Amino acid sequence: MPEPGTLGALVMKLRFDRGTILLTDPPADLDLAQAPGVLWDHRVHAHRAPASSYPALKSWLLEAGARFEDILLYQTHDAPEAWLRVDLRPYQEAALSAWELGHRRGVVALPTGSGKTRVALAVMEKTRLPALCLVPTRVLLHQWLREISALYRGTVGCYGDGVHQLAPLTVATFESAYRHMGQFGDRFGLLIVDEVHHFGGGVHDEALEMAIASARLGLTATPPRSAAAATRLAELMGPTVFELAVSDLAGGFLASFDAMTLYLDLTPEERSGYTSLSSLFRLAYGDFHRAAPDATWADFAVQAVRTAEGRRALAAWRQARRLVAFTQAKRRALHALLARHPDSRVLIFTADNETAYAIAREHLVMPLTCDIGRRERDDVLQRFRRGDLRALVSARVLNEGLDVPDADVAMVVGGALGEREHVQRVGRLLRPGEGKRAVVYELVTRNTMEVGQAHRRRQGLVARRSAQL
Amino acid sequence: MLPDGLLSYSAVGVLVVPRFLGEHDHPWLRALLDEHERFIGRPQRELEAHLREPPSCEGPPTRRKQAIQVLARLRRGRDRRAAVPPRRARALVFAEAARTEGPRATLLSSVAATLGVTADELRDALFADLPGERLIAPLPILSPAELALRTNLALVQALLSRATSVRIEAEGNSRVLVRHAKLRGLICTVASRSGAGDAVLDLSGPFALFRHTRLYGRALGELVPLLPWCRRFHLVGDCVLEGRRLALELRPGDPIFPAVEPRRYDSRLEEHFARDFRRLAPEWDVVREPEPVPVGSTLIFPDFALQHRTDAARRWLLEIVGFWTPDYVANKLALYRRARLPNLILCIDDHRNCAEADLPSAALVVRFRRRVDAAAVLRCVG
Repeated sequence: MPEPGTLGALVMKLRFDRGTILLTDPPADLDLAQAPGVLWDHRVHAHRAPASSYPALKSWLLEAGARFEDILLYQTHDAPEAWLRVDLRPYQEAALSAWELGHRRGVVALPTGSGKTRVALAVMEKTRLPALCLVPTRVLLHQWLREISALYRGTVGCYGDGVHQLAPLTVATFESAYRHMGQFGDRFGLLIVDEVHHFGGGVHDEALEMAIASARLGLTATPPRSAAAATRLAELMGPTVFELAVSDLAGGFLASFDAMTLYLDLTPEERSGYTSLSSLFRLAYGDFHRAAPDATWADFAVQAVRTAEGRRALAAWRQARRLVAFTQAKRRALHALLARHPDSRVLIFTADNETAYAIAREHLVMPLTCDIGRRERDDVLQRFRRGDLRALVSARVLNEGLDVPDADVAMVVGGALGEREHVQRVGRLLRPGEGKRAVVYELVTRNTMEVGQAHRRRQGLVARRSAQL
Repeated sequence: MLPDGLLSYSAVGVLVVPRFLGEHDHPWLRALLDEHERFIGRPQRELEAHLREPPSCEGPPTRRKQAIQVLARLRRGRDRRAAVPPRRARALVFAEAARTEGPRATLLSSVAATLGVTADELRDALFADLPGERLIAPLPILSPAELALRTNLALVQALLSRATSVRIEAEGNSRVLVRHAKLRGLICTVASRSGAGDAVLDLSGPFALFRHTRLYGRALGELVPLLPWCRRFHLVGDCVLEGRRLALELRPGDPIFPAVEPRRYDSRLEEHFARDFRRLAPEWDVVREPEPVPVGSTLIFPDFALQHRTDAARRWLLEIVGFWTPDYVANKLALYRRARLPNLILCIDDHRNCAEADLPSAALVVRFRRRVDAAAVLRCVG
């Protein structure tokens, strides 16, 4: 088989072009229409393939015996001593092996707090490939930068939060990757995606398709449940190669926890307001649901904004949600619970920022929201770790990935995002400790939309598939 | 970018027809601007809460929301004054709350006393720096008509963000469109329409070949405010809306807000040359961006035409080949060689080291360093 390389003037050339591979000057006897991912691009009179097809395309060309000038490939970059040793727990080792056995492609699903990032660090250390790590938020961007720098002595690049700096190991936010992958998608042989469940639904998937990396690792605590999303994610990153749920690790590698639900009532005034709002909503939603029983909430929202009645129904639903977000009973219950756990590290979760600030003012609990700047946020987490602060209240910031030190009590005052959010939140408490038993309180208002929401969100905590450890 | 729920349009056959705001909408837009005025000096969160309520004035709800979004982008805020820097207030109050039991009011008072402020001042300071607490500043002077045009522009850009490709037939200023496309990483094929000086531009992104993507929607939408600077244009965007392929058409006269006038020159080099030549040769007109020249299936855009005022036959095209990448220069010279233009002056940066063989044989060449010598060009045109 001929070696690829520069073999004369009329050799076919492969070039990375803004997230795609452009093939120019192909030999007349090569039918590129058969090559994986390749289409004829009439705009530039050349063949083109998505960058993610590059590994398969290259194999196909080699098998076909084609001579070609390859794209300028990344170099393996580091002396081994740039990495310190990455120690793994047994289940993390098992996850790493499963990924290796899956030809270095696939998703590892582990509960929050079980050290997913550690698996990613081990993969980087083991493969020594130039790696691009994608994370959903700026908070996680800085957390990943810190964690990599703790074990790796070289420069770590950063793309996001106003910084554009590339290095053989780079961390980027999803948003930056979506915008800029066309510029640097050929630089990395390994693509690691934290909270990978955000992909597979079509939104921003291009970020993964515009990278040539053949080695791909997705990390999540909550792999997608719908077959369509799971299939698409498998195309982009590989299948789920390893999966453990909270209950698989609780009591061992994760702390055990008790979940308590406190059912609360509305005051008569609140109940009367809630009843009239929910009947207004149900009237419109009931008609819609009868006409289209299989339609989703998103379908309803699209339909509703088109009519005055629909808009009123949506407005009523939003008001009802605000009404139950922080009721009189929740105020009193929160007061009592904070008094019951004076020496614990407490995380309070709300449905929205407005409630988080209301709790912050009323109970003098430090809020951690998207409005609080990075430096202050880091400082707050440090002080929480030291015990100078004993409670934090947050709507979304604490949900995903952020490494929160040793909390042992969670109070869920409200949630908006269901099962996935709940799993992430409970995970904040599960860092193991000597004799530790965490408590999760859920405040649920009787005979309101919250009852169904609470029921649905608990589904995520049941055991999935235990691995043989 | 307006979200899906705020797109107002109707589908007529294969066309998407945006529901533009017009003169009949000015009364409720005026009322909306007045509502904003009333909130000047008050925290942003109060205005946001007010705008969530059903409106006091009539107005189509979706379009009202569009206008609110446009206003939010124009809105400026200023920080609230606080008796204690808010971050310091938070650090002290929440740490004290972790240390001590007892009523919250007592705790606030004791921290306030150590800072020499009242408990109310301290409570006010706690979150005074958050975005929702910023005080609303007066809007830049804005009429209902301008708000309508800006909202229409936002609507068209949001529709185009769902476009796979865009075709623009443009006369005059098409060079600005091509430059924008290249800058934003779009593929732009340019063709000339037979007989006319029009350019036909087909714009899309490399990845759009494989599937419908919104990756290039923002870049495509950014072309819209540049269009009013063309003498004539016709835009057709191939959009996917609610799973249907629909065409969005724009023409001169559509009520959309124009961009500020695009830069007249690509570089200081060109600007200086135009100024120097006008001073030196008042009997010549310096025409910026003359009509494009067809070369095969594509077009080239010379930088200038030099036209003698009294002798129409004395007309020269002039191209300044400045400091660009070698590929770009080679490509440009190749096009000019194919064009075989009789009256062409090429001004070549000496740093480019262009060999004589690379240059079009019929062209007059003026080499320069740093600044194009207008006198040397004048000698060429006689």
